[in-house]
Amino acid sequence: MTAALLVQSAVIGVSIGSIYILMALGLTLMFGMMHIINFAHGAVYMLGAFVIYYVFFQGGAPYFAAFLLAMVLLGAFGYLIERSIYRPIKGGIEPTLVALIALTTFLQAAGYPVFGQLDKHVPPVFEGTKNVLGVMISVERLMIIPVAAALVIGLYLFINKTRLGGAMRAIEQDKEAAALQGVNVDMVNGLAFGVGFALAAAAGALMAPIFKLDPMMGEQPLLKAFIIIILGGLGSIPGAILGGLMLGLIDSIVATALGAEPAFLLSFVFIILVLLFRPTGLFGQAT
Amino acid sequence: MIRRVVLAVALLGALLVPQVGNDYYVHLFALVFINVILAASLRPSLTCGQLNIGHSGFMCIGAYTSALLAKHYALPFELTLVIGALLAALVGTAIGYPSLRLRGVYFAMVTVAFVEVIRLIAAIWVPLTRGNSGLSSIPKPNLLGTTLTTRAGQYYLIVALTVVTLLILWKLEQSRLGLIWKGIGMADHLAQSLGVNIAAYKLLAFMIGCFFAGVAGALYAHFIRFLFPPEFGFLVATNILVYNFVGGRGHFIGPIVGAIFLSLLSEPFRGSAYETIFFSIAMLLTILFLPGGIITLPGKLAGFRWGRAASAPTPSPAG
Repeated sequence: MTAALLVQSAVIGVSIGSIYILMALGLTLMFGMMHIINFAHGAVYMLGAFVIYYVFFQGGAPYFAAFLLAMVLLGAFGYLIERSIYRPIKGGIEPTLVALIALTTFLQAAGYPVFGQLDKHVPPVFEGTKNVLGVMISVERLMIIPVAAALVIGLYLFINKTRLGGAMRAIEQDKEAAALQGVNVDMVNGLAFGVGFALAAAAGALMAPIFKLDPMMGEQPLLKAFIIIILGGLGSIPGAILGGLMLGLIDSIVATALGAEPAFLLSFVFIILVLLFRPTGLFGQAT
Repeated sequence: MIRRVVLAVALLGALLVPQVGNDYYVHLFALVFINVILAASLRPSLTCGQLNIGHSGFMCIGAYTSALLAKHYALPFELTLVIGALLAALVGTAIGYPSLRLRGVYFAMVTVAFVEVIRLIAAIWVPLTRGNSGLSSIPKPNLLGTTLTTRAGQYYLIVALTVVTLLILWKLEQSRLGLIWKGIGMADHLAQSLGVNIAAYKLLAFMIGCFFAGVAGALYAHFIRFLFPPEFGFLVATNILVYNFVGGRGHFIGPIVGAIFLSLLSEPFRGSAYETIFFSIAMLLTILFLPGGIITLPGKLAGFRWGRAASAPTPSPAG
């Protein structure tokens, strides 16, 4: 592998990693607060991409307006799911997981009759290429990095500097104690669903101009996000960021060298080993 | 008494399918019974409180092992079936043993990763499995020196093994072992404090489940005679889970009712997107409105009629 190819893989790795991070952040936030794994995250990513397809490409709206719309719409959808699925089940972890799996398969399967059988394509938003460290990278892929970074910083500020973010951290530490201090646990859980869904929608909206769109497109990023949050330790936000960058790089470099399927297989074997021998994740703390 | 009559009628009905129906029905019910084995074999693990979302991975191991042994070494079915099932159980032990200390979500994630690993191996290992072009012309089951050439013969083989599997699983659940499993599922710390070696019992439940998933896989391989890696993916594994949740987890009959009910009801949509839509809606509605599964429905209806809907006791299930 030549140096140029390596640099190119690395930059693309960071860009893909940014998408993974957006996916993983919502998952890990929801896990930290409610101890559930949101299997529907991949389907939300897919819906985010389709909002771009219909609003930006078909509807002719500006890209960033469509992007924000995707986040708002799916964030509201997340809040609704908390109300209609998570809350009625009252915290039973197994039934909640199964219900979320059901929601996922429903959204994916319903995607075929609703969006059509054929793959969809969104035309590029940012044309051209840019010279990065001596290699040419498409602006489309480069743009993902600052947008994702802005969202990550926004989430960081929200969680650490606002009252609602403080309520989320309180629930993560101790739900009962938070409720006793006057935190409206149901409302804040709903908000976490909303934030998680909005981030997944943002990831899908960023990827829409790059990959083809089909109802199953969220499966791969979902499985990647699983891997990341396990690596980073379930519930850990810095772990999700570090894990996302790592997986993006490994993915891009190993896939360039070996092919996509073996790379995927390796990451799963690795993750089974991590889960078995260090279940709190590589960066998580033992409890 | 009523229960025995219902069971006898059900068994008679199953045996009569090739007499009264055409090949379509034979095919349909053969797959229904394979689903019954899969659903029932997931139950021991679920009873212990382990959410296994990778059961189809073990089915895949049993299917490919049995198919390849029969195809390349012309081994008889009774041997390939047992080897396939044992290999599935062995892999299950290898995965299950270290993951015993994982609980809830962590265990579920291991099984999700596992089913993807198995599917990817089946897809990548082209010289052995033919990868995503699929493994074709698998021999018909050769049992005790005779090849079962007719659809009906293969169907009876599946019915027989389904009955044997269900009897074994039922006896296990009725035994002391089943009680311990239930105890672990309800309160594992309590069971542990009473001196129950919960790790060993959980592993046993998982192994037994994997073994019978392997049996189901072998039956599938020699009945359909074509194997294709994506057919053993995450979606199939979730279907097996759905049978258990929709049927009901409170009684042994639950997964069986769930598998039969959903397989038959989704038949008109098979192969189309609507099959999955149907499945997922059935699953969501059951979890939200009938947490005990279909088997609690008669009791709820009866309770409703007599005006004590809220406290209707769980009925003894029939059929």
